[in-house]
Amino acid sequence: MKPAPFKYVVPDTVDEVLALQAEHEDEAKVLAGGQSLVALMNFRMAQPSVLIDLNGLTSLSGIENGGPVIEIKALTRQLEVERSATMTALPIVAEALRHVAHVAIRARGTFGGNIAHADPASELPALMLALEAEMVATGPDGERVIPAADFFKGYFTTSLEPTEILTSVRIPTKQPGAWAFMELARRHGDFALAGVATLLDVEDGRCRSARIALFGVADTPVRATEAEAFLVGKDPVGEVLEEAARITAEALNPSSDIHAPGAYRKKLSSVLVKRAVTAALNRGDMG
Amino acid sequence: MSVDAKPTATLPQYVGARVLRVEDPEFLMGRAKYLDDITLPDMLHAAFVRSPVPHAEIVNVDIEAAQALDGVVAIYTAADIEANTTGPFVTALPRDEIMPVTRPLLASDRVRFVGEPIAVIVATSRYIAEDAAALVEIDFKDLGVVTNAEHGLTEDAVQLHDDVPGNNIAHIEFDSGDVDRVFDEAPHVFSKRFHIGRVTAAPLEGRGVIANYNPGADHLTIWSSTQMPHFARTLLAGTLGMAEKKMRVIAPAVGGGFGVKSCLFPEEAVIPVASRLLSRPVKWAEDRQEALSSSAHAKEIIMDLDIAVDDEGTFLAFRGNYVGDAGAYAIFPWTSLVDPLLAADVVAGIYDVRHVSYKVDSVLTNKCPAGPYRATGQTGGYLLRDSLIDDIARAMDIDPVELRLKNCIGNEPYVTATGFRYDGGSYAESIRKVCDMIGYDKLREEQAELRKEGRYLGIGVAPYVEPTAWGSKSAQKHGFPAEFYDSASVTVEPDGSVNVTVGTQSHGQGHVTSLAQVAADQLGVRLEDVKVLDSDSDTAVYGAGTFMSRTAVVSGGSIMRAAADVRERILALAGQELEVNPSDLEISNSTITVKGSPGKSMTVAEVSAVAYFGGERRGEVETLTSTRYYDPPETYSNGVIAAVVEVDVETGHVKMRHFAAVEDCGTMLNPMIIEGQVAGALAQGVGIALLENAVYDEQGQFNTASLMDYLYPSSNEVPTMDLAHLVTPSDVSEGGIKGMGEGGLVGSPVAVVNAVADALSPFGVTINSTPLRPADVLAKIEAAQAGNGGR
Repeated sequence: MKPAPFKYVVPDTVDEVLALQAEHEDEAKVLAGGQSLVALMNFRMAQPSVLIDLNGLTSLSGIENGGPVIEIKALTRQLEVERSATMTALPIVAEALRHVAHVAIRARGTFGGNIAHADPASELPALMLALEAEMVATGPDGERVIPAADFFKGYFTTSLEPTEILTSVRIPTKQPGAWAFMELARRHGDFALAGVATLLDVEDGRCRSARIALFGVADTPVRATEAEAFLVGKDPVGEVLEEAARITAEALNPSSDIHAPGAYRKKLSSVLVKRAVTAALNRGDMG
Repeated sequence: MSVDAKPTATLPQYVGARVLRVEDPEFLMGRAKYLDDITLPDMLHAAFVRSPVPHAEIVNVDIEAAQALDGVVAIYTAADIEANTTGPFVTALPRDEIMPVTRPLLASDRVRFVGEPIAVIVATSRYIAEDAAALVEIDFKDLGVVTNAEHGLTEDAVQLHDDVPGNNIAHIEFDSGDVDRVFDEAPHVFSKRFHIGRVTAAPLEGRGVIANYNPGADHLTIWSSTQMPHFARTLLAGTLGMAEKKMRVIAPAVGGGFGVKSCLFPEEAVIPVASRLLSRPVKWAEDRQEALSSSAHAKEIIMDLDIAVDDEGTFLAFRGNYVGDAGAYAIFPWTSLVDPLLAADVVAGIYDVRHVSYKVDSVLTNKCPAGPYRATGQTGGYLLRDSLIDDIARAMDIDPVELRLKNCIGNEPYVTATGFRYDGGSYAESIRKVCDMIGYDKLREEQAELRKEGRYLGIGVAPYVEPTAWGSKSAQKHGFPAEFYDSASVTVEPDGSVNVTVGTQSHGQGHVTSLAQVAADQLGVRLEDVKVLDSDSDTAVYGAGTFMSRTAVVSGGSIMRAAADVRERILALAGQELEVNPSDLEISNSTITVKGSPGKSMTVAEVSAVAYFGGERRGEVETLTSTRYYDPPETYSNGVIAAVVEVDVETGHVKMRHFAAVEDCGTMLNPMIIEGQVAGALAQGVGIALLENAVYDEQGQFNTASLMDYLYPSSNEVPTMDLAHLVTPSDVSEGGIKGMGEGGLVGSPVAVVNAVADALSPFGVTINSTPLRPADVLAKIEAAQAGNGGR
């Protein structure tokens, strides 16, 4: 479990990174926290010939509260986001991060790295869908803003060009008031068998809007759009909730692996949706 | 920072005391050296080229491109190794039923499992060695696979070894009493099939070897992460064709073994051959992929049991069938029978049943070879029998604890239908004690209350008897005809400090402390005056190593005998010096006093000075050293594990809530160390019951070669635990000591499984396999509901 030979470079600026990417294209990989990439390299499942270490780019780290959006720079460590006072405005983020692996891994793993890695069983990509966040990509032609809904394209695949890097994530601060984040993993810290992030806007017992994002159930994180639409205008309890959960699961066709058959993940998704919506309603306003 | 141990001399007696482990400071300060911490001048690094396919003929191995890589020093294939060894490993036992199985050190014409070594690359770094390994090209011709032991026994199954027709290493039958008649006449017969999943001990530190051949001295030093440095030397001497005196095997700090490192693996012979050919040190430290795919798997058995029961719930007879999944070879030197044969022969447990029969098969499959792992065989045997007993309790509407007490043997020594002599225990008392600890009756009330809320609490109680002190007698009684030799030396040095050496290597068990406690008590010296040395074949006396809960008894007994000799000499010398009869002397706290004359005394150091430098004052007294041997009779500890779980019936997720355990291992050397052993085994029990599975797909590919897929329990998955002791000293062993390293893993998996089944009893769920993934539990619930009209 030693990586294949590679060239290791530590650029000082984003421009240098972009120049290296332009030069080496698919042969290059950028190293952020390394919590997924280094393992893949040790298994020789990833064999980049050039490894571009981003950890010298201090400009890519930090959290800024810009009023309507909170901007999290891509290289900010997950643990820093989890413990950030700024992020208390969006408590679902810290709640989701507590499910990401273990403290030691979050201390090194970066917020943007996790999203750009695009593991469909990972928590943050689904959370970005639920929060309707925007991904900021920087490339040779400058910045490009990509809505989360257009960002995740397949297993470990995003709409980032090989010449671009993810430089920050913008999360709107105005979010529906009720929220919940839930998953079931075989062990604490493992990738989930299935998980859900939900945000609901409920007034007088009626759902004005509902967002339900699931992970671990497809080749990307997915929004349960039909179930969301079904819930609008209804009181999301009892049989209505049962039906929403059923609609959610019906739209899914998860694959099987050694941890669970796809059919199980499908059932689990509906249970989690029911529980998450109920928990969101019980919790009430965000915060 | 000072790491001097606090004086412990105020303790009246060390044995039985909670003495802090004297070896810990070195580990806690990061100063212990594990195999991979060792670096020698001029050292080379090895990586193995391993089979990517499960069963194939090797058509061609092309090493040309690998050889050309800068930094590659040598590449050896089967022919090179064959030319420099006396032959392959042949695993056999002197029993008529057992077929010898040959395992080449490197595969030559055929591979039989994914991960089997085919070639070894020796290079200037492990990185380069792995780069080269990726360049070796091998052409295979597919031979088809066997991935299920029962399928392996069928007539048209693919055959793995030409000299083992039918893929069966052994078919063994045992019959005692009048089993078939009792079954014919019994009012009730209950039956069950159980398939315990394939697991691997996966110690935190994998296997590893450094070999350093010195051509000037024609001497080979081997550092090996092993549980048995002396026995490894003996086995390797044969394979390498070297005299044992020319070989030194050292086990450095070893990060866990659990049985895996009580086997000898091909890599352990190949690395010394490479060093001998190159006259340079060569290191191989396996990575996690190798550990999971290519060391030793364990415990997979497909088992059936019938229990004949009368109307009152008395067990009348047991009839079992055990088909073990051996993997591709019989593990060297113990054979793959260790799982199915031990699963079968412990079928009596604590139950008073006089009619017992069983059949055992050990079937070759295209998987990593199976070998010993803590509570070898017994984990499976107990899962089968004690989960069936809970099924019976539910069927007959008897409380499962009551049903066990009703069938339990008495506390006095007892000979089982399988011929084992239990040396007394607290078989029923320990069950009552564990029930008190968990508040059994109150838990039953809570269970009923929670069910009204749709919550499902479950309790599992699993009593066990653990065969321990594996020496000649135990081994032979359990069907492994072998003779064992273990010894200890005790030497008082010129300053009165004491060196004890044993041939049972410590790899986490705290022997350096617990065996020092034995020696200190027997000699009458202070604990801090005693040092225990094991793990180096040049400096410690010979022994078979540490496995099968043997060290406390075999090394403890050897030390007691050797220390008694030395004590006698100390007293003889002191008697001469003090001019009193030695029988009027006593030793305590490293001081010899005359009974009734407190003023008259000598220290052990003063006596030792006379022994070494006293010239004629020594008289006829022999040197203050003795080496003695002890091969104990059978001895059996007992205990009980109770598990409490809550099952989420919508997701199938099992949440461990609590464990309680009672351990009775006779005379306790150190209760704290015993509790550490039990706690670790309970954690492993959670893994076996709920998480761990070494998975092969139908094509024989291995799917769990990383710790993302092979799931250890982490501290999050292990619940709180209460541990307690009972003490029933052995009536046959030295000091009344019984072994205890494995009992927790005999009972904990079935305690968890029974707790799950108990939680789900309203659904009528029967559990017959492990591990219980959430998906499996949910499927069981749904199947039970479908079977009951969707109840």
